[in-house]
Amino acid sequence: MKTNLNRGCAVLLALGALAVPATLSAQGRGPAPIGHTPEPTSPVTGNAVAGKALYYHYACYACHGYNGETGARIFVGNWGHLATEAQFISFLRGRANVAPVTPATSMPNFAANTLSDKQAKDIYAYIRTFKSNAPPLKDISTLNGIVADAKQQK
Amino acid sequence: MAKSQKSSVGRRGFLKSAAAGAAALATTAPVVEAQRGNNGAVAADATGAPGPTPEQLARETGNVRPPAVVRTITRPASDLMVQVAKDLGIEYAVANPGSSFEGLQESFINYGNPPNKMPEWITALHEESAITMAHGYAKAEGKPMLALLHGTIGIQHGSMSVYQAYYDKVPVVMIAGNDVDFIPAHTAHDMAAMVRGYTKWDAQPETVDDALVALQRAYNEAITPPMGPTLVVLSSEVQKANSPNTKIPAYTPPRFVTVDSTSAREIAKGLVEARNPRIDVGRLRTPEGVKRAVELAELTGACTSTAATNGPMSFPQRHPLCGPGADTNYDYTLGLETGGAQASITGAPLSTVARVRDVDHIDFGGILSPGRRGGFGGGRQAPSASPLQADAEASLPLIIEEVKRQLTPEQKARVKERSAKTATANHAARIVALERAVDAGRAGWNASPISTMRVYAELWPLIRKEDWCFSSPSSFSGAHNNQLWDHDKPYSYLGGQGAGGMGYGAPASVGAALAARDRNRIVINIQTDGDLNYAPGVLWTAVHHKLPLLTIMHNNRAWHQEYMFVEYMAGVRGRGEDRAYIGNTLRDPWIDYTKMASGYGMAGEGPISDPSKLSAALKRGVAAAKRGEPYMIDVITEPR
Repeated sequence: MKTNLNRGCAVLLALGALAVPATLSAQGRGPAPIGHTPEPTSPVTGNAVAGKALYYHYACYACHGYNGETGARIFVGNWGHLATEAQFISFLRGRANVAPVTPATSMPNFAANTLSDKQAKDIYAYIRTFKSNAPPLKDISTLNGIVADAKQQK
Repeated sequence: MAKSQKSSVGRRGFLKSAAAGAAALATTAPVVEAQRGNNGAVAADATGAPGPTPEQLARETGNVRPPAVVRTITRPASDLMVQVAKDLGIEYAVANPGSSFEGLQESFINYGNPPNKMPEWITALHEESAITMAHGYAKAEGKPMLALLHGTIGIQHGSMSVYQAYYDKVPVVMIAGNDVDFIPAHTAHDMAAMVRGYTKWDAQPETVDDALVALQRAYNEAITPPMGPTLVVLSSEVQKANSPNTKIPAYTPPRFVTVDSTSAREIAKGLVEARNPRIDVGRLRTPEGVKRAVELAELTGACTSTAATNGPMSFPQRHPLCGPGADTNYDYTLGLETGGAQASITGAPLSTVARVRDVDHIDFGGILSPGRRGGFGGGRQAPSASPLQADAEASLPLIIEEVKRQLTPEQKARVKERSAKTATANHAARIVALERAVDAGRAGWNASPISTMRVYAELWPLIRKEDWCFSSPSSFSGAHNNQLWDHDKPYSYLGGQGAGGMGYGAPASVGAALAARDRNRIVINIQTDGDLNYAPGVLWTAVHHKLPLLTIMHNNRAWHQEYMFVEYMAGVRGRGEDRAYIGNTLRDPWIDYTKMASGYGMAGEGPISDPSKLSAALKRGVAAAKRGEPYMIDVITEPR
């Protein structure tokens, strides 16, 4: 029997802050809006195909979703520490309880002896392929309908 | 424990000889034979207590007929017990069958005209499921149903669910059978002791008269604050006793502690004279309490908060007065079952029960740390100038009467004006929050696996005009109902597990569907995969009893929270995250939930990973639930 009250909330909030604000829609709070920081244009040297396998194998998807724009911690549109390959690797190496990097101190640490620079570059190459696929609101009739109905309720 | 001092009905000797006689007909099973000691009895355990004899086990495994009854029973005591349940308005009794309550079960299914109605017997496949069904039912209806447990083993099977109901302050009335002359391992001198630390009250009556009183008291204790599960242990002798002259005692409803008249007057004065009053509403006891809270808010023009997105029995979320209002500088705030700056009315916390019941000093949940979230102290609340320990629901009529008495025509005019402004402001705030949620919800809209936001969004247009109940905790699936859906009924959303234990969603949903079945209501269960796998047999119960239940699997194929915990730990220790999947994922093989449902007779479809196919599937699912045909849709989802 698993439990998931205090510890769950605390650790979920503490985990995986790869980029900037969380999209966690916890009770009583609305989700954060989609971010709008520009997509990086820095060079990519890794192999995105190999990076995809690593993204799954190292369970990046558990927090960041399969596309970087859903899940508990989104980064597509909030590229923050992902601006360059070097920044990304530096970020991976400096996680909580090891060598915290302000402000995001809570993502698991990825030490060089467990995830090599080459592997990190491959992952970076893969996540740089992520694009925001969020359709414009006008193209999502379901969501439009929900807002329209709510506006009519008085 | 409340234990009767009266003598027992004295049928032990009779039953013992009857059982022995019947057992003599038994064919001894080989597995039992292999465990026999020299004297033919199963070897004693380490405590010296004898294990079951071959004859006892043979009967338990169905190899013999029940013990012959040589005496004519004209009026079984168990009929009277069922009559007590009828008189209390109990709708359902749920159990996994057990030989220790065969007398009661026979009465439940045969006594009365029509038989097996009010209460109706519900078949569970596990005691943990049975009690959580009662938990879900009580959250939806604000009143208890019965759960029957088979001796020591039934109580232990159900104990986790008892713990959750206790933590959740939910009324559940349990009866445990105690067959004192049968398998010793299924009996105990003080059976209720196993759950005493997390039940509100228990009794082990030894006479029929005491048993009837105990059942009434168990009901009353369960529904009075702090509400919680109660347990009556009934020996098989008491259940089967002939009681031709026994009268059912007159039922006395419980007394709820209210605020006194002075406090009611002061609270009314505060609300009536305030320039900008507010009422913060937590979780009330019953739908009647919700109705009264609405009445008070409308009388005073106070804007309100609600706990309706955290659980049942709170203020309607989309009521025009629910929201921050036009001016957030409140000069008088009343809390109903929650904090309030000027006054708060909250029922007795569980810690008041635990002080008496936790005789073994187990200290479940850190009860001596009142500031700790989730503790029995009731959690953190805003400090109040006037904290009152009373039942808010029972106190509301007094306050309402005082408000009516005090309101002047001028104040009534101000209330009307303020209410209009508040409604406009709240509606605007609601639209801002919704638009923000919807904007965020665009992300991953067309992604596969399917975003949890899309599941909630596609579902809402299909149910919003129905009478619906969302029965399972939403925190693991994004809680998108908070902004997208309207939680306007006392049972709109039933909230979390109570003690955060898994294995809750499916059985609680079946309990909610029991409440819904005859009320033209449908129940929506967005079911996490890990949670369902504790006791999936409850799907069969839903089908067997034709419940209006739609189960949508949030199938992310892992325990993602724990996955992240282990990842984090591996990172801290510098040993790599690549093995964190071990023990935290549901892969190799993936579980086929529609096949699982099909095995229990439940229709369904999936797995669905193409978001464009989701809406049509949901339509079919809602239609099936409305027909009283439980339906499952397996949706492959994003982790969160």
